[in-house]
Amino acid sequence: MLGESNGLGVALSRCAHGDRDALRHIFDSESGRMLAVAMRILRRRELAEEAVQDAFVQIWAKAHQFAPERGSPQGWIMAIVRNRSLNMLRDASREELSDDDSLSRMMDAASLDEAQAAYSALDASSRLRACLAALDEAKRKSILMAYVSGYTHGEVAGRLNVPLGTAKAWIRRGLASLRGCMA
Amino acid sequence: MSAEDSTDDLADEFVLGLLDPVEALRVEEAMATDPVLAAAVASSRDRFLELDATARPMPVPPAMWDSIGAAIDRAPAAQAGAATVAPAVAAASNDNVSRWRILAINGMAAALLLAISLGWSIGNRLEPRVIAVLLDTNGTPMALVEDFGDATARVTPLVDFNVPPGKTMQVWTLPSTDLGPVSLGLLASSNTTVLEGQNLPQPNEDQLYEITVEQEGGSPTGRPTGPILVKGFAKVPR
Repeated sequence: MLGESNGLGVALSRCAHGDRDALRHIFDSESGRMLAVAMRILRRRELAEEAVQDAFVQIWAKAHQFAPERGSPQGWIMAIVRNRSLNMLRDASREELSDDDSLSRMMDAASLDEAQAAYSALDASSRLRACLAALDEAKRKSILMAYVSGYTHGEVAGRLNVPLGTAKAWIRRGLASLRGCMA
Repeated sequence: MSAEDSTDDLADEFVLGLLDPVEALRVEEAMATDPVLAAAVASSRDRFLELDATARPMPVPPAMWDSIGAAIDRAPAAQAGAATVAPAVAAASNDNVSRWRILAINGMAAALLLAISLGWSIGNRLEPRVIAVLLDTNGTPMALVEDFGDATARVTPLVDFNVPPGKTMQVWTLPSTDLGPVSLGLLASSNTTVLEGQNLPQPNEDQLYEITVEQEGGSPTGRPTGPILVKGFAKVPR
């Protein structure tokens, strides 16, 4: 029941009323997928688990901000774990301050495969799939690397071996085409 | 490029995680008062959500639920009474992205001007860690916040604020997205007030400060719930 949008929306509003059981329902139905999404970005199990845990604390604290007219509850919940994962990733790369680390990330073929696999796993009837398929390969890859694996503009540029400005332009134009295609 | 395009671009780049941390914080904050931007972010999230749905769920350690419960018990403040208060309702305005960018730039210029004209650094023993000039939606400087980074902040109104009976002004800052907005204290009148609050992370350049109108005694949720009177981004005195 809670897997569907309505159930999650109801659970969020119960969280806003301080109902801990409602948070538990969200945890039971969503945490496994949230962990998988965090893993795509962070690539390390213990970091991904930390991101999911932090995300649930935030979901509890921010549940009253969820407004059903502003998108789906799944989108809202996923955004919280995605943001937490991205912040951890960026913080870690700042702290380590090593080019080696970002370099190894760029060379990490696994995450490129993962981005590609996410695209391939989209339902055949998916509008997003059709619209991504309509993009040039370079634009599609850039967008998938950024969304699925959390690559920055610079990392996309490094991975695809193009200047930063080119990567930025590909992503921006690709995103605009997607909006037009899915409107 | 039209304003609509740039809002949509910004929303997509925010959702993909491509903005730098300061820009991302500003988008997050602007969403509270800019329905066009908030709607663009929501539709962008839902556009890409299917990609997350392709992730095969992984087993979560059972102990995680207990850790979450413990973390919530440690910080229960934000929850109490949250549900009885409507989410922040922004005054109807056509606030958009280019506008708050302009606002921020105005803020920097105004901060410099005011810093000079008020001569704050001359007679003060303590030097603020950051100074924020809070602007209204027209970009007019309305109040000055000096945050000393030792749990005290001085707020100097630059105009007389008319607050309806039964309401009060509350001063907020946003130390980080994770922490969310934090109250610095209540402003009972349009007189210069020193607020002594909780220990927060040291304030940074570009940190957001704002004043909202709240019910007497302050926001019951511990988060801003009322309309934003003025806001601005901090600068570090040079």
